[in-house]
Amino acid sequence: MSANNEPNIVAFLCNWCSYAGADLAGTSRVQYPSNINVIRVMCTGRINPLFVVNALQQGADGVLVSGCHPGDCHYMEGNYFARRRLGMLKDLLEYVGVDPRRFHMSWVSASEGHKWKEVVEKTVEDAREARSYEGFRRRQIDW
Amino acid sequence: MELEKLRETAAEIAARDDVKYLIGWKKGSYGYRVAPAFAEDAEGASDFIFSPLCTANLATYLTLVEKLPLPRGQEPDKRKVALMVKGCDSRAVTQLLVEKGIHREEVIIIGCPCPGMVDPDLLNKKYPETEETAELKWDNDGFVIVRDGEETKVPREELLDEKCQLCRYPNPVVSDIMLDDPVKAWEPVEDEGVKEIEEKAVEGRWDYWQQEFSNCIRCYSCRNVCPLCYCQDCILDRQNPDWVYRSVNFSENTAFNIARAFHLAGRCIECGECERVCPANIPLGKINRKLAREVRDKYGFEPGLDPDAEPFQASYKPDDPEDFIL
Repeated sequence: MSANNEPNIVAFLCNWCSYAGADLAGTSRVQYPSNINVIRVMCTGRINPLFVVNALQQGADGVLVSGCHPGDCHYMEGNYFARRRLGMLKDLLEYVGVDPRRFHMSWVSASEGHKWKEVVEKTVEDAREARSYEGFRRRQIDW
Repeated sequence: MELEKLRETAAEIAARDDVKYLIGWKKGSYGYRVAPAFAEDAEGASDFIFSPLCTANLATYLTLVEKLPLPRGQEPDKRKVALMVKGCDSRAVTQLLVEKGIHREEVIIIGCPCPGMVDPDLLNKKYPETEETAELKWDNDGFVIVRDGEETKVPREELLDEKCQLCRYPNPVVSDIMLDDPVKAWEPVEDEGVKEIEEKAVEGRWDYWQQEFSNCIRCYSCRNVCPLCYCQDCILDRQNPDWVYRSVNFSENTAFNIARAFHLAGRCIECGECERVCPANIPLGKINRKLAREVRDKYGFEPGLDPDAEPFQASYKPDDPEDFIL
């Protein structure tokens, strides 16, 4: 949480769909929470599941991974690999006791500005409600 | 299994010209100890054994060998490595074949059908170790402990290792030579350890693992003993990027354990070696088995059965479950 008690969310967005979708939300003047810190990656398949673990360790209150819908990947199959890996990671985090509301994954295409808004609202709300996990933080970082 | 037959076969194979060495088990220095053994000739194989104490997974040694670059003009050693495997070890070998960690023509696999191993900790607790050499044998329906010439019969359930209670593949899935007739597979028990954690709420799980992981001393024994942890450039040794810091605290211990378990998702063959060697007695098997079960139930994939399969994390199915996606 930042100083004003707002959750910090790290969002990994794929360059071709979700990043453009978030961009569309901006240009269409869709209002959504500003807690999101976007990291643009070329494809969700590029996301090492340890990115998520590392973000949580470094004090993120929630992590969002968003990419193209299945079948729409710019690289044909990157999001299929991501779905498998990050689905496993979500199960594992939940099993170890990290609140499942801290990690979300979504498909947002370049034309879904409104869906992007819903996804962000849900992620921020969940991160706000999620149980504290102070012990998992590597060090205190002011964002 | 007859000891004579085992030693005869072992000696025959170790003596072959195209075999570099044979890896098996031999009696340890005292008590119940059993040690891995390497035989380069027939004589070296004369003390090989196979008993309920041979828990070690020898497939580890296939990838532990340091492969140095060859000096110019020198021919590579193309001789094979022979290896004795139980059911679970053979799955590790198959998984290595899938990942091309080893090649089929480089190994000779000697299959030992396994009626179940004992839990060494439980054995030491119930029948304390002596300095004299003690032995264990399989009986029709249990184990026989031989100490100071005295035989004690113990029912199977009393000492059977947890991983063997859950075992579904007691017979080697891949082998060149089988030392005995296949044993009859038994009904695996329900996985109480995993179930117990699953029944907890998220808070309870966190507290449970916090307790366990805070004991971790980060010796990396679990990684070193694992037959499938063989990356030459392991993320735990890497300094840039520094995925997991070296400091021993709860944050890093948790990250390390998550990373270790995750790297084995869809690859772990549940040989239970990590849990056996852990000096802090962290129930690593409970994480590995949970992930293995998720992979089996949700994705219909089981590692270490088919040498021609695609690796789990390097493949996908268009209809993989996606109920977790917003």
